Amino acid sequence: MAAALITVLSLTVLGIPFVLAVDRDAPPLRLLGLAVLYGTGAIYFALLALSVLHVKWTLLSVTIAVLLIVSPFLRSLSTQHSALSTRLHVVDILALITPIAFSIYATMVAIWQWDFWAIWGLKARVFLERGGIDWRFLESRWNLFTHPDYPLLVPFAYDFAALVNGGWSDRWLGVLFVAWAVAFLLVARELAGREVSPLAAALVGVVMSSAGISIFVGLAEGALIAYLGAGVLFVRRALLFDDAAAWRHGAILLGLAACTKNEGVAMIASVAIAISIVDARRVVRLWPAAAIALPWLVLRALHRLPSDVVSGSLVERVAAHASEAGTIFKLLVRSSYQPWLWAAMLFGFLVVPMASRERFVLLATLFQLLVYIAVYFATPHDVAWHIRTSWTRLTLQVAPPLAFAVMIELARHAEARSEQQ
Amino acid sequence: MRRALTLAAFLAIVAASIKPMPLFVPFYGRARLEPLFKRYDPPQWREYLPFLDGVRAHTRGGETVAVLVPTPRWDPGYAYAYYRASYVLAGREVLPLMDPEGRAHLENLLGAELVAVWNAPPPRTHQKLVWSGHGGVLLRR
Repeated sequence: MAAALITVLSLTVLGIPFVLAVDRDAPPLRLLGLAVLYGTGAIYFALLALSVLHVKWTLLSVTIAVLLIVSPFLRSLSTQHSALSTRLHVVDILALITPIAFSIYATMVAIWQWDFWAIWGLKARVFLERGGIDWRFLESRWNLFTHPDYPLLVPFAYDFAALVNGGWSDRWLGVLFVAWAVAFLLVARELAGREVSPLAAALVGVVMSSAGISIFVGLAEGALIAYLGAGVLFVRRALLFDDAAAWRHGAILLGLAACTKNEGVAMIASVAIAISIVDARRVVRLWPAAAIALPWLVLRALHRLPSDVVSGSLVERVAAHASEAGTIFKLLVRSSYQPWLWAAMLFGFLVVPMASRERFVLLATLFQLLVYIAVYFATPHDVAWHIRTSWTRLTLQVAPPLAFAVMIELARHAEARSEQQ
Repeated sequence: MRRALTLAAFLAIVAASIKPMPLFVPFYGRARLEPLFKRYDPPQWREYLPFLDGVRAHTRGGETVAVLVPTPRWDPGYAYAYYRASYVLAGREVLPLMDPEGRAHLENLLGAELVAVWNAPPPRTHQKLVWSGHGGVLLRR
């Protein structure tokens, strides 16, 4: 367990200079939350660079690579002058309950999920044995089940933990998932505190503490929820308040979401389309997202790593599934994760007019869901099986930023009416 | 009325966001959660994991290992055996003897340096015993 905790601590310390380089006014909650996320991203790029340069991963080589990456940003440590702080409320204590319970759940036993030892953990373990990305393994036709095209941020985080540990162990990797969930909570809570009263922001934090958690410990969802959720929330802030630092955070976090799962790549597209509709001139500010996502996309194209969804005849599959549209939509409704949360969000949406102020989050979420649904129509797998094994996780990914936006609007309206009275 | 509805919607989101799964875990003992943690490991395969650990201990990185288990189907059955073996034997090249369409791939048996045989009759292609235990044998060509 000590090694896992040291890993999280290392990621946090490593991430601080990056956060401050991007946003020297980052208040403490934001700084801490983003440090974990940026630190994980820095490790991803360090391991990726070493692999590309054919330098074997060791704790020493990774440390040197990380120091080389972080050194240009160390100056930011001396320029930090955050005068901002987040006003907390006693209700914030409630936001700690779920993460504490989750930390027990995630670390009770070694990671047990099928997709961990068939995809995420398997790749990490294979790469650790080799001391870098094993392209032969990814290219082998016998290993298609590992989804060779999937981005590698999460397996690399496992590898970093293994290097710190001195060898592979899946016993305490659940600690990473607690760290990513708490990181998202801190970021969301800080952003909420800028728009609504401490009590309302604390309650938003309570929801984020739960919605930001993936019960699928070992899969990339935990990290993706944090990157994707925080990314969308920062872009939302950037659009609403013309906040330059929020633009940078939003773009970087969405880029790192694309390094976590293919859904992150889809989210960059969804966000870009949503921004184009809201304010087309500003879509170029997303360029860091594309730049961060690009290296893996290029590498996987160079190595011709296949993606099951787009292989074969797309048109034929879509045509075949089109006749099952009714069944597909019924299954989607039935498999949605936390249906009451979605129903409550819909209720909130109907109570208060928010389509204007929150149209970015609404559009980005809508486009993302449409992409997911389009994939089901194009899937080469049995569509019912595909929906049953993934839709729960997909709805989990997009719920937090939407819940955040709806709650902020509800709180703003309630507070405005209180003041009027 | 509008304010009451707004507050109701806000609190409804708070209430609906509660996830029972991690929240109630501290109130259950580890033993009661065992079925959750073991749900991907079929009871009849209980000895398979310690067997794979033994295979790992008796093989080196880079060696090719085919996996022979008593199941005629890919899913459920062989997929579990193959994926589990790939994870535990990471660093070795693990070769399946069946594909997801249920087709046999005997060329992998012929090409493998070693075959891990669990609860199945050993093939004639590999006869040198490397290790045995937990219901299986590891054979070298």
